[in-house]
Order: sequence, then structure tokens, then C-alpha cells
Amino acid sequence: MSDQDLDATSTEVPIQPYSNPAVVDGRRVMGVVPGKPVAGESKDPADNDMVMVWPHLLVRHGVAAIVTCVVVLVIAVLFDAPLRDVANPNLTPNPEKAPWYFAALQELLARFHPLIAGVLVPGAIVLGLIALPFVDRGDYVQRNHRKVAVTTFTVFLVIWLILTVIGFAFRGPSWGWVWPWDEWHGEL
Amino acid sequence: MTLAEDRPTEAEQTGSKPDLFDRIRDTPVGRTIWRSPRRVTPRDRAAAHWSSFAMHIYPVKMKREQIAFKYSWYLGVISTVLFGSLVISGVYLMFFYVPSPDQAYADMQTIQNEITFGQYLRNVHRWSAHLMVLAVVAHMCKMFYRGAYKPPREGNWIIGVGLLATTLLMSFTGYLLPWDQLAFWAVTVGTEMAAFVPFVGDSVREVMLGGPVVGASTLLRFYVLHVAVLPLMIVFLLTFHLWRWRKDSMLETARSEPDV
Repeated sequence: MSDQDLDATSTEVPIQPYSNPAVVDGRRVMGVVPGKPVAGESKDPADNDMVMVWPHLLVRHGVAAIVTCVVVLVIAVLFDAPLRDVANPNLTPNPEKAPWYFAALQELLARFHPLIAGVLVPGAIVLGLIALPFVDRGDYVQRNHRKVAVTTFTVFLVIWLILTVIGFAFRGPSWGWVWPWDEWHGEL
Repeated sequence: MTLAEDRPTEAEQTGSKPDLFDRIRDTPVGRTIWRSPRRVTPRDRAAAHWSSFAMHIYPVKMKREQIAFKYSWYLGVISTVLFGSLVISGVYLMFFYVPSPDQAYADMQTIQNEITFGQYLRNVHRWSAHLMVLAVVAHMCKMFYRGAYKPPREGNWIIGVGLLATTLLMSFTGYLLPWDQLAFWAVTVGTEMAAFVPFVGDSVREVMLGGPVVGASTLLRFYVLHVAVLPLMIVFLLTFHLWRWRKDSMLETARSEPDV
């Protein structure tokens, strides 16, 4: 390579600090090649880009954990857990209420035959949840490609939520209807 | 294995000035905690992740969309943290509680009135339990709407259903332990539902209660389930759940966009 060639190159490419073989940090640099960055020209990160879990995910999980702990701490300072009178098998309270997450079942039991409300419905829910991945076999996860599954699930979920709220807050003595703002019978 | 002192630190590799963390790592104590120098290249950092006990339940890398809030709302982490809060507060309460009808209620009063932080830790335990049921149910709904039960994640969905059932049982067995009117009658009503199962219902209820009605054997059974059997089941299922999550996170899931 003549000196002229080198001069021609240097007019096209910005001057590189190590354009000749040089020693950098004790290592010999063979040469510097002008070119595009390996990562591509765009610096906008894409959804599919892989990122290191530490720190990107672990920091987020740490924040989620701290927020959860603070919420529990604040609730526990503000509200005491209930403790009623000592258990008395001879004194049945009215209403008798199951824990809130069984309130929907209890509400169903008040409306339907026990075999339906106490056995068939809960059994169908558990079996349905287990069977879900094998019933909905479509290729796509987008909601408009699995309308049947999303609609069915949403309908059941909404019914269940409504029954839970009714059983928890809208039922009073002898499982009669009450307005929670008039008399409160919900127990946590 | 290369010892920490044999390998170049980040400062030596890059020629930059060592920062405070570098200097802490370079002390004899620091070298017992961090046994290898700070990782610089992605390959080196991935190796550090794989060889770390604390990090091994996590995958090394994930897609950006997978770590965003809207992907999971972090409900799985929240459920796990609540479980941890329940274990810690629950162990504390165990020191002061005897599961017998003669003593349980008096122990509850002692915990609330005399034990240091007793009332506060009982509150933490109670509210964490309710929040955990909510968080686990919400986690399941979020996973459903994201389509996270699609192949190859069917197995983990089913483990998740098992975790939901175990969480409900945990909460229900714990409900009896204060041995107050609320506990006694909620469990009476709850177990009456089991009696509706045809043919075996009454036997199932008797096995649960240890007798025809809620009594001393019920309290003992629910206590053993609550502090030993069910927590172990949750830990086992959760370990399996997280292991599957880590393995599956590296797989391509069902397509999120139809081919055009």
C-alpha cells in the first residue's frame, strides 16, 4: 500500500485514533474497519429484544415486592383482624356466612338444588379450568382469535363476581336480602 | 475454577478507575462474598447469572415485552411475596398458639393483648391471606386473558389451578384456628357443602371434621393441614411452577399475530 492510498482513505473516513497497527492496553490492534454498528442502525428497542433479567426484571420485581409489603404493613396498622366471641356450638349466628371466597357458592346453594350448586357447579369450574388448554386449541393468543374462550370465561367470571358480592354484602338474617348501607353483615 | 484475585477486575479490563463497589469487592471480605470479579461482557454476565444460587430461579434473558408491567401486572410475584409474609407472620403466631378448643381462643386473646407485636402480626397474617387469595385469582385471570395457557404452557396452567385450590384450602383451614364464632360457623357452613357430594359426601365431611360436627379433632386436623401439609404442597407446586416458568420463558409461545 502506498502513501497515496492511505491519504485517499483518510479523506473518506473520519480519522480513527488507531488507524494503524498500534498497541492499546497491552493488546495489538490489527486494524479498524469502518462500518455499521452490529446492533443495527436503529436504537429504538423492539418488544422482541432480549434483555438481561438482572437488572431489568429483578428491579421491577423488587419494586413490586416492596409495594406489596408496604400495602400489607399499612392495612395491618390501620385495621385489626376480627375476633368475635369464643366458639359456641349451641349458639348459631344468623346469618351463618362462609368465608367471602365461598360466598358465591353459598349464594348458589340458596337458589338451586344442593347437588347442582354444591357439586356440579364447583366440579365443572375446576374441571373446566384444567381442561381449558386442551379445549381451546387455536394457534393464536390474541383475544379476537379466541372469541369463544374469552366470552365464556368472561361471562362466568362476571357471574361469579356478582354472586360473591351478593353473598358477601347483600345477604342478612336467614339469607334474606339486605342493603349493605342499611345493615352490614359481611365478615372478613 | 479461577479465584477472584487471579482474574482481572472490571477496572483492570477497561482501564477505568475502580469505583467504590470495585474496592469493596477487592477486600478480603468482599472476595468471600463475590467470588468472581465484576462481570463486564454479556457472556460473562450470563455465566454469573447461571452460577448464582440466588438467581438460578430466573432465566438469564427475557424479551422486553415479557418484563413490562402490562404483561403480567407482576401478580405472580405479588402472590409469592404475600406467601412469604404469611410464612413469617404465621411462624411467629405458632409460638403462642395451641390448637385445642380449651386453649385456642385464650391464646388468641393473649397474642392480641400481651405478646409483643402480636396484634400487628396477626393483622399482617389475616390481611395477607385475603390479599393472597385475591392476587392468585387475579393472576389466573390475567394469564387467561393473555393466553398464557397455550402450548407449550398447558402443564404450567394446570399446576397454577392446583396452586389456586391449595391457596383456598390454606385460607379455609386457617379460618377455623381463632376458634371464635366467626371461625366456627364459617367452617360449619363451608364443610356442609362437601356433604352434598352424592354417596361419599357425608364420609368426606367426617374425614375433614374428624367427627360429625366441628370439634377438637377438627381444630387439630385443620391446624396440621394449615401449618404443615398445605404449606409444603404450596412450596412444592410453586417450585415446580417457577421451574416450568423459567424453562418455558425461553420457548417461543403460540403466535401472537396471525401470518399475513
